[in-house]
Amino acid sequence: MNTDPSLLQSLSPKETTGFDVRAKLREVDASMRAPAMLFLVSAVLWLLAGTVFALIAAIKATNPEFLSAQAWLTFGRVRTAHLNAMIYGWGNNVIFALAPWIMGRLSRARIRHTSILMVAGVFWNLAVTIGIIGILKGDMIAVEWLEMPAYVTPLVALSYALVGVWVIIAFRWRQTEHVYVSQWYLLAAFFWLPWLYTVAQIMLVFEPATGVVQSLTNWWFAHNVLGLWLTPVALATAYYLIPKVLGRPIHSYYLSVIGFWSLALFYNWAGVHHLIGGPVPAWLISAGTVASVMMVIPVIVVAVNHHLTVVGLHKQGWASPTIRFVVFGAINYTVVSLFGSAMALRHVNEVTHFTHFTVGHAHHGVYAFFTMIMFGGVYYMLPRLLAREWPNAFLIRVHWWMCAMGIVLMVVALQVGGWIQGLQMNALSEEGTPVYTFLQTVENTKPWLWARSISGLMLLIGHLAFAVNVGWILFSPKTEDQVTQPTLLTEAE
Amino acid sequence: MGWSAYILVGFFSASLFFLAGAGALYWAHRNGQLNNLEKGARSIFDEDEPLGEITDSFPPKRKAAPPKS
Repeated sequence: MNTDPSLLQSLSPKETTGFDVRAKLREVDASMRAPAMLFLVSAVLWLLAGTVFALIAAIKATNPEFLSAQAWLTFGRVRTAHLNAMIYGWGNNVIFALAPWIMGRLSRARIRHTSILMVAGVFWNLAVTIGIIGILKGDMIAVEWLEMPAYVTPLVALSYALVGVWVIIAFRWRQTEHVYVSQWYLLAAFFWLPWLYTVAQIMLVFEPATGVVQSLTNWWFAHNVLGLWLTPVALATAYYLIPKVLGRPIHSYYLSVIGFWSLALFYNWAGVHHLIGGPVPAWLISAGTVASVMMVIPVIVVAVNHHLTVVGLHKQGWASPTIRFVVFGAINYTVVSLFGSAMALRHVNEVTHFTHFTVGHAHHGVYAFFTMIMFGGVYYMLPRLLAREWPNAFLIRVHWWMCAMGIVLMVVALQVGGWIQGLQMNALSEEGTPVYTFLQTVENTKPWLWARSISGLMLLIGHLAFAVNVGWILFSPKTEDQVTQPTLLTEAE
Repeated sequence: MGWSAYILVGFFSASLFFLAGAGALYWAHRNGQLNNLEKGARSIFDEDEPLGEITDSFPPKRKAAPPKS
């Protein structure tokens, strides 16, 4: 390849020749360097901001008077700011750093016209910042996971579209014959999110549906952001990195294809399970429950593939920061999904609904699964983009132990506490009167909520260690003797 | 919007979702993506990052502070 293609050539569906040289991995890495840095640094800053919002909200659960004098620091707003900072600030930024990079590597195509990705990055972060300020200021929309005020919608949509188009263009110009399973997941995710977002915006923000349809659309959207956006991207990353790092192909590639298509078929139905017990037609809830249980198929498939690929290479995996984080995430994908299928059963849901069990489940999915895999992806990507080693192994260990133990503590505390809370709320005496007053059930959750706050503090320490290491690697000198090597990190100890 | 409009939006978006999926599966079949999957599983390795080689580990402990440059 002598010259770079023009923007029109890249976008043209008819353009076929002239730029069809198979890129080396390090050329793909180099092409993605600047935009990935922008997205990653923004992601880390949002992660820290989101953690602080989370801690404030967590402390308020046990000490409601904490920081309650200002309207913008009240629980409803801080908790919502936490959710949006994590999903749209941390989650999407880290996806925008990792997904085009993985797509480019698998397609053997350099990421083109990265200045447009940079513009998208600036717009995206501007949109999230305005959105979060809007939430804190009191402008939020009362639709969970879609709380950012309507005035940021155009900016969100535009900047997302710019990133999405670039992922698809990388795929369009692929120089490989086979479409790897991660590419399927990424393409699907980048097609599904705008689809979800458009329908949700039409039906919830611009022409809001009322009553039952509103709740249905709300939970269809919110659950699908997890199921059809965060999940496929995290699975794509795991499907790429586990075999890549260990130098061993996926255990059963056949199964991975079934896993992808069954996820595509079942996951988008599952969101209704949030409304079990609500005033929703029973057949709809049954359909959601059936789909939730059918999700066992793709989950078991992914579990077989991810876990059996690692078997026999545990020692080498433990010596790799990437594998530690990604395998932790993969194990939790199995556990959280099976829990999710169980929670969609009406009799289980009777206990868990409206309790902290659900909060624990949400963090199990978005943090223990999605976020941990994203951390693993960053540990693999950054040294290759910057041609540098991670400067400090101790900080990686602090990050790993604090986050792994912190999230386990959080999930156990919220789910055990939430289960007890559910049993106490449902408990009836022989005369049919409640055994516990509502206030008693609330008081009894306090020790568990304290444990949650402590786990949040552990996560904050882990995130700070990660942020310091990311800042450090950005400004450290190149690892000179290894710059030309494709693999920058040293052999296992 | 009235009920019928919501149903229209829902039907249109659900059809788009389904047709896109069905189209993609059909393309994968026609394109031979579902044949010879074992070879496909190895497609992520190459001479730079080959099969059978671990490509990530903790950075080594530093013996001394790196020279400032």
